[in-house]
Amino acid sequence: MDYSIALQLFFSGLNLGSIYTALGLGFFVVYSVTRVLNLAQGEFVMLGGMLVVTFYTKGIPLVPSILLAVVITSLAGAGIYRFIIFPARKFPGMTKVFLTLGCAFIIQGIALHFWGWEFRSLAAFFDTPSIQICGATIFGQTPWVIGATLIMVAGLFVFFGHTIQGKALRACANEPLGARTVGISIERMALFSFALAAGIGAVVGALITPLTMTSYSMGLPLTAKGLLAAFVGGITRVEGVILGGLVYGMIESITAGLIPWGNHNVIALAILVGGLLIRRRGILLTAGKG
Amino acid sequence: MSFSVQDIIERTRKISPVDARYLAVGIFTILIMIIPLGAGAFPNTVMIEIGFYSIVTMGLIMFMGFAGQISLGHAALFGCGAYISGILTTQHYLSPWLALFLAACFTGGIAAAVGRVMFRMHGLILAGITLALNLLFFYLVSGLSDLTGGAIGMTNIPPLSLGQYTSQNILFNYYLLWVIAILLLIFSLNLADSRFGRALRSINTYDGGSEEAAQVLGINIMKYKVWVFILSAVYASIAGSLYAHYTRIIEPNTFMIQFSALVVLMAIIGGRSSPWGAFLGAGLIVSIRQLLREFAPMLIVGPTGSYELIAYGIIMVVVLLFLPQGLFPIIKKAILKRRPGFS
Repeated sequence: MDYSIALQLFFSGLNLGSIYTALGLGFFVVYSVTRVLNLAQGEFVMLGGMLVVTFYTKGIPLVPSILLAVVITSLAGAGIYRFIIFPARKFPGMTKVFLTLGCAFIIQGIALHFWGWEFRSLAAFFDTPSIQICGATIFGQTPWVIGATLIMVAGLFVFFGHTIQGKALRACANEPLGARTVGISIERMALFSFALAAGIGAVVGALITPLTMTSYSMGLPLTAKGLLAAFVGGITRVEGVILGGLVYGMIESITAGLIPWGNHNVIALAILVGGLLIRRRGILLTAGKG
Repeated sequence: MSFSVQDIIERTRKISPVDARYLAVGIFTILIMIIPLGAGAFPNTVMIEIGFYSIVTMGLIMFMGFAGQISLGHAALFGCGAYISGILTTQHYLSPWLALFLAACFTGGIAAAVGRVMFRMHGLILAGITLALNLLFFYLVSGLSDLTGGAIGMTNIPPLSLGQYTSQNILFNYYLLWVIAILLLIFSLNLADSRFGRALRSINTYDGGSEEAAQVLGINIMKYKVWVFILSAVYASIAGSLYAHYTRIIEPNTFMIQFSALVVLMAIIGGRSSPWGAFLGAGLIVSIRQLLREFAPMLIVGPTGSYELIAYGIIMVVVLLFLPQGLFPIIKKAILKRRPGFS
């Protein structure tokens, strides 16, 4: 294979991998605190993308648009926890999953009401031009995607590993009774995790809108892909999510480059699902039984 | 001898649960059979839609309600039936009836193969895997354009026919669909009350069962999970084939995750503990959708479809928070007070 094609595939894989990692992070944040699979995560991504497009086209500069979208989506996430998941906190895990599915329906409906059926798109952030490196073309948005994902990953890494607040969050899922005994409010932590996950989702939405168009119905497919990436790596640890996302991105990019048949999505998904079925606790063997 | 409602209820209390089951099915059958006599073509098409959803939901209820497993990918099984039926009849010129049968067998086979590896995993991870499999199915049928027509889909699928009647005839299709639905209902009801059904309930960790306890009692949980998944897949496939031969056009978008989520919604609202819940859930959701399509545009401005989605979400949340068992147990209790064992 040509060197430049390999480089091209590598960058495209890195780009996709960053997106899947960032998608998976939202599931990780909620799951590692509350042990809930949040099926509305993809809808947060969609909501974030839509809001950024709306603010940006209204003339608000890009950075404030993104910040506004993140704040609004975080509030939506917190609201969903407070009014829908919190009353069901004693229910079995499956009920909570179905509740988040209900939330996904509601968010989709609201998005359809305000933004209609049309697809929305944005130019690359700050109109960054495409870059040429050794014959490989990198779309202007790619550095932003990779950079933002790196920042989020680093932030979560430090937060969950090295701050009291982050350790308190993890304690909620690992040992709820113990956490309560030492004075951690599990409900407050769960609320925070939903808001954080929604905020991460909104950032992802802003990042991917210039790459793929955003429409009201794109949430559930994104949920499926992000969840798969998170499970493949190991949903209970940041490293697992990064690994899963990167593996997924690379496989999708390589299959897209090598298979002339064109439908690389099928092969990539099949490899991932197959891999997950064989190595059921994720690459890092960290996923629990639950 | 009087025939007051109270009297009938009194009599129902005295008969055995099995008789009561068939009595209920009988009343339901008569109701279904007389609906088209009094209605125009429009409610019949709505009832046909309810029928399709009911069959898929019944399959899901066996999987989700009896066995306590989670599936967000039933649209793929439904689509499997539809596409195999379509391919066999348009490209290999088989009889639609044979195609329906072969599609059900093939989908069951796929379910067996997938289930055998999938059920090594427990609980919520199945949600992720079934979602991914549904997406995989969507990409697969969109990509194999030689076989499935790609994103455009398949057209000119021949209708099912019996003598001079074909399933293009709304009334014939109505009876065909509902006869099959009622036969499947009887099968599900009997299954729930068999050794197989009780074994499923024992492994239902969602409603208080325990896989460990079941294993200790000598229940091969893998076997039961795979078999209930196969049955569930066959139900979905039959509905899919009937759908393909009825609409005669299928396209990949129909079989996207949205459909799976809708079927889960119906199972939850109707009540996942009994196959009756499928009819209740499907009937309610389709009726609500139809009403909203009729009346919502008069009241509020906006794209149609958005109220449906919001209504689904709100109904799902409210039912899960306040009636976690769905609507059927309440209705059952209202009809038959103090009569356990009637499913």
